[in-house]
Amino acid sequence: MKLIGIVGTNSDHSTNRQLLQYMQQYFSKEAEIEVCEIKDLPAFNEPADKVAPATVQELSNKISAADGVIISTPEYDHSIPAVLKSAIEWLSYTTRPLIDKPVMIVGASHGSLGTSRAQGHLRQILDAPELKARLMPSAEFLLGHSLTAFDDNGQLVFPEKVQELEECFEEFRDFVTINNELVKNHQAKAELNRQFSWELDANGGQN
Amino acid sequence: MKFIGIVGTNAEFSYNRLLLNYMQKHFAAEADLEILEVTDVPMFNESDDQTNSPIIQTFNDKITAADGVIIATPEHNHSIPSALKSVLEWLSFNVHPFDGKPTMLVGASLSDQGSSRAQLHLRQILDAPGVNAAVMPGNEFLLGNVQLAFDDEGNLKDQGTIDFLETCFSRFMRFTKISNLLNIPEEITFTPGTFDVTTPGHNGDLPMKVTLSKKRIEKIDIDTSKETEGIADVVFERIPQEIIDGQTLNVDVISGASITSHGVIDGVAQAVKMAGVNPDYLRQRPKAGALQAIPDEEYTTDVVIVGAGGAGLTAAAKTLQEGKQPIVVEKFPAIGGNTVRAGGPMNAADPEWQKQFPAIPGESHTLQEIVAMDPESIDAEYRPDFLALRDQLQTYLAENTDENSYLFDSTLLYRIQTYLGGKRTDLNGQEIHGQYDLVKILTDHALESVEWLEDIGVEFDKSEVTMPVGAIWRRGHKPAKSVGYAYIEALSNYVKAHGGQIMTETDVTSLIDEDGRVCGIVATGAKGQKITIHAQAVVLASGGFGANTQMLKQYNTYWTEIDDDIQTSNSPAITGDGIRLGQSVGADLVGMGFSQMMPVSDPETGELFTGLQVPPQNFVMVNQQGQRFVNEYGSRDTLTQAAIDNGGLFYLIADDNIKATAYNTSQEKIDQQVAAGTLYRDETLAGLAQQLGMDPAVFEQTIANYNRYADEGLDPEFGKDVFDLKVEKAPFYATPRKPAVHHTMGGLKIDTKAHVINETGQVIKGLYAAGEVAGGIHAGNRLGGNSLTDIFTFGRIAAHNAIAEAAE
Ligand SMILES: Cc1cc2nc3c(=O)[nH]c(=O)nc-3n(C[C@H](O)[C@H](O)[C@H](O)COP(=O)(O)OP(=O)(O)OC[C@H]3O[C@@H](n4cnc5c(N)ncnc54)[C@H](O)[C@@H]3O)c2cc1C
Ligand SMILES: Cc1cc2nc3c(=O)[nH]c(=O)nc-3n(C[C@H](O)[C@H](O)[C@H](O)COP(=O)(O)O)c2cc1C
Ligand SMILES: Cc1cc2nc3c(=O)[nH]c(=O)nc-3n(C[C@H](O)[C@H](O)[C@H](O)COP(=O)(O)O)c2cc1C
Repeated sequence: MKLIGIVGTNSDHSTNRQLLQYMQQYFSKEAEIEVCEIKDLPAFNEPADKVAPATVQELSNKISAADGVIISTPEYDHSIPAVLKSAIEWLSYTTRPLIDKPVMIVGASHGSLGTSRAQGHLRQILDAPELKARLMPSAEFLLGHSLTAFDDNGQLVFPEKVQELEECFEEFRDFVTINNELVKNHQAKAELNRQFSWELDANGGQN
Repeated sequence: MKFIGIVGTNAEFSYNRLLLNYMQKHFAAEADLEILEVTDVPMFNESDDQTNSPIIQTFNDKITAADGVIIATPEHNHSIPSALKSVLEWLSFNVHPFDGKPTMLVGASLSDQGSSRAQLHLRQILDAPGVNAAVMPGNEFLLGNVQLAFDDEGNLKDQGTIDFLETCFSRFMRFTKISNLLNIPEEITFTPGTFDVTTPGHNGDLPMKVTLSKKRIEKIDIDTSKETEGIADVVFERIPQEIIDGQTLNVDVISGASITSHGVIDGVAQAVKMAGVNPDYLRQRPKAGALQAIPDEEYTTDVVIVGAGGAGLTAAAKTLQEGKQPIVVEKFPAIGGNTVRAGGPMNAADPEWQKQFPAIPGESHTLQEIVAMDPESIDAEYRPDFLALRDQLQTYLAENTDENSYLFDSTLLYRIQTYLGGKRTDLNGQEIHGQYDLVKILTDHALESVEWLEDIGVEFDKSEVTMPVGAIWRRGHKPAKSVGYAYIEALSNYVKAHGGQIMTETDVTSLIDEDGRVCGIVATGAKGQKITIHAQAVVLASGGFGANTQMLKQYNTYWTEIDDDIQTSNSPAITGDGIRLGQSVGADLVGMGFSQMMPVSDPETGELFTGLQVPPQNFVMVNQQGQRFVNEYGSRDTLTQAAIDNGGLFYLIADDNIKATAYNTSQEKIDQQVAAGTLYRDETLAGLAQQLGMDPAVFEQTIANYNRYADEGLDPEFGKDVFDLKVEKAPFYATPRKPAVHHTMGGLKIDTKAHVINETGQVIKGLYAAGEVAGGIHAGNRLGGNSLTDIFTFGRIAAHNAIAEAAE
């Protein structure tokens, strides 16, 4: 199984990056996880031509080719960081590779809540019509106290969290398999979703 | 009433912008609504703080000054646009203008929903503690199907909609009035008195006496004796002043001395608490002198010098000596850069002086090794000097066979040692050694620099000749006062006394380049104001790039790996700015791949002087598995590469006797560090191993072997052959260490007149560089004590030529 892990921040030092790197290595037998950065994507600015800049296209291609996506989000001001939002806006505005794509959300925060509020927002965002990702239901992985969660070799040091992550990840692998069966017969609807436009929608389909 | 309206998108066309424009017009009689655009705000990045950029300062200042804020948000993917989120992140990071600010949300969207979901997210975001806006409840103004809402003049068409907007707006005016009552500072009354408090400083306790009258903080007396002279001084000058002037605890910490800064602020907070007042009330007060917009500034002078470290102040003093006027611009609040941190003496060959000291065992062996070198192995440009040196050495060695021999030195020995010390090969097989003409200038003029500094007012202790760590030879001239600071103090006193100007908190961002000639700089001042300085020449003396990890990684060709979280012994100001400035006018770079690491640094802070620092013969280094991994007496780069190969983090082991040889610490500091968990102590070796997560059996075996090698005087495993003490007397200590960036050898290409050279080998007119910002001299490895010589020598050369050539 081939998965893409998206680091939801542009910070040089990120425990969310550490979390994905840890998953990549810890689950290397079960899945091939490629960790992708969004820090070099340009800031989203709604260009009239709706063309994805090269770096966005590259990320989009990787997502399209993958069986599923893991997003690791920090929490900034009770929501997801602007830079992650910007990446999602690009994808939704140009190539829409997340449509029908299985997505698992994880997050690490310095405080104790482990990005619960950011993850809530991210779920709602990914559910928007121009994204329509297939979110794994009800499984959240929240890593609080993330500054002390990893040792110098990048290993997660809280045993109960390791177990929780294993369970979550196993569920996600099943979810990916089942979902990708499901959507095989769903290509036409997906294509429609790819055509979705707020402008069209608002004009009752007349543009 | 004065409101700020924020257009929540960077799109060229936005209905939300139309809506704010309409509100501005429609409510002009009741309120002044100024509209701010988010378009030019950079993407928020925690690692690249741009709080001080003009655009964010504008947002901060205007929101702070306004009575309330109206945000018009579109909805993107069921949430707010990233461009709006980015602004809110900047305004909740190091500044918090929304704190308690009355805020109204409006939104327009194409769907029926009219941005309802985005507004809900926005409410939650504005409620986060870093933002903490006072958002008006209810009164949701959602403008759905917005493409139909406005007429050609940009007016809302539907009367019902207009009525509702008017209701919402008039509620917001009332809400603003009432909310702002909460923002009136809390009345406070102190129990008057003088309170003794102690907080942790950088080097130990920071005791102070704080005097409070009923209504005011009157006086802050700090025992400053333990903190680092030259680094912590600005804290003591500025922070108490700002606290008293503003009667506030909302003061900025001083970059480069944040630990001492927090110590002072926390101490006053403690006293305030003892006097019966919640210090948070004082933390919420505005900063002293906040909100004053400072007009842009413009100056003209003869020579402008970028950076008030050793090289920069030297260039300034030399400029004054030649009868011209310098301005030194320094980006930090404190002057001194890395120079003030320097712990060692400066190198200069002064054979007449060194002759008074007897030679010590091993020195003649070092000289014999040089004599025995194959001249063919010496690069051609150095070979004549090498042969002449060989004659000198043979004569000396022939005449000095008894124990009464004296310490030898000569300019040639200094030059050849600088050359040999700097010769390295990188991972790509690229060989590098010091550029001959620059090394010749350095070694020929070193002693003159010492004498020049004496004229300026630096006093040297001539009773001792020392070998700076990593210097290979005893030719160190040591100032009588605390080392790095002694140079900076004398030079800055000289510059100020002779009418030179030093502008701190002035960050140079670009060079002025007219008709192919550099003739000034543009900088940003402390309040975000633009400072322009015109001059006949610019001297770059802004130091290296040891505190810029990205840049180190970008150029590195020497180390197999540089960690993202590598620490540095450098001042956080040392980020390669001068190299980038030079490149902006076409400068060529040399030797950029070579950096020097200090293997025995604090893993958390990069500092050298924490834990137990003992002489290298007493180093016992073990990796995270509890095994030795290197000959601890090796050179800095061997130790560093060995540490990198062993995962970076390692431990220096000491017993009670070895502890006694530590030159950096006191029992108070040791106890403080053990308590803080940055130094480990245990009664047994097994216990220590357990604390460090090592297998006790492995660790005990390692120490047993080490002790046996110390007895036998030879270590068959790693070849250590200089031993002193064994590890045998409890308690035992482990100091965690990790290599940290110490020095960058590469930099701007210069010639012997300190001109900056461009990529086609031409002089860039009007631009000079001196010190760590320049490359070519130290090549692959800088000898300890050679930087100081470099900056005081080339600082003078740069100023001299800048003035001479301006006159032409
Ligand atoms: C802990 C430590 C110990 C050392 N010990 C020794 C020793 O014993 N012997 C020895 O020879 N060398 C030693 N070195 C090396 C030596 O101190 C430095 O190489 C040398 O001081 C560099 O001097 P400089 O004048 O080039 O730069 P610095 O002294 O670093 O000064 C550069 C100045 O430029 C300012 N600046 C940077 N960018 C800008 C900008 N954009 N606008 C305005 N100002 C700017 C900085 O804030 C700084 O004040 C040591 C270094 C460290 C860090
Ligand atoms: C502007 C800003 C806002 C933040 N807001 C939050 C927050 O609302 N909740 C939280 O848990 N951490 C917050 N943090 C702290 C951490 O950045 C956050 O815990 C993050 O999830 C850590 O992930 P990282 O290590 O990948 O950066 C904030 C940080 C910044 C810079
Ligand atoms: C020799 C030496 C002495 C220092 N002394 C102090 C000091 O007295 N007070 C202080 O706050 N920082 C001191 N520092 C600086 C800190 O260790 C650290 O580098 C700095 O605080 C980092 O920058 P920041 O304060 O902006 O975070 C010293 C550093 C060195 C190398």
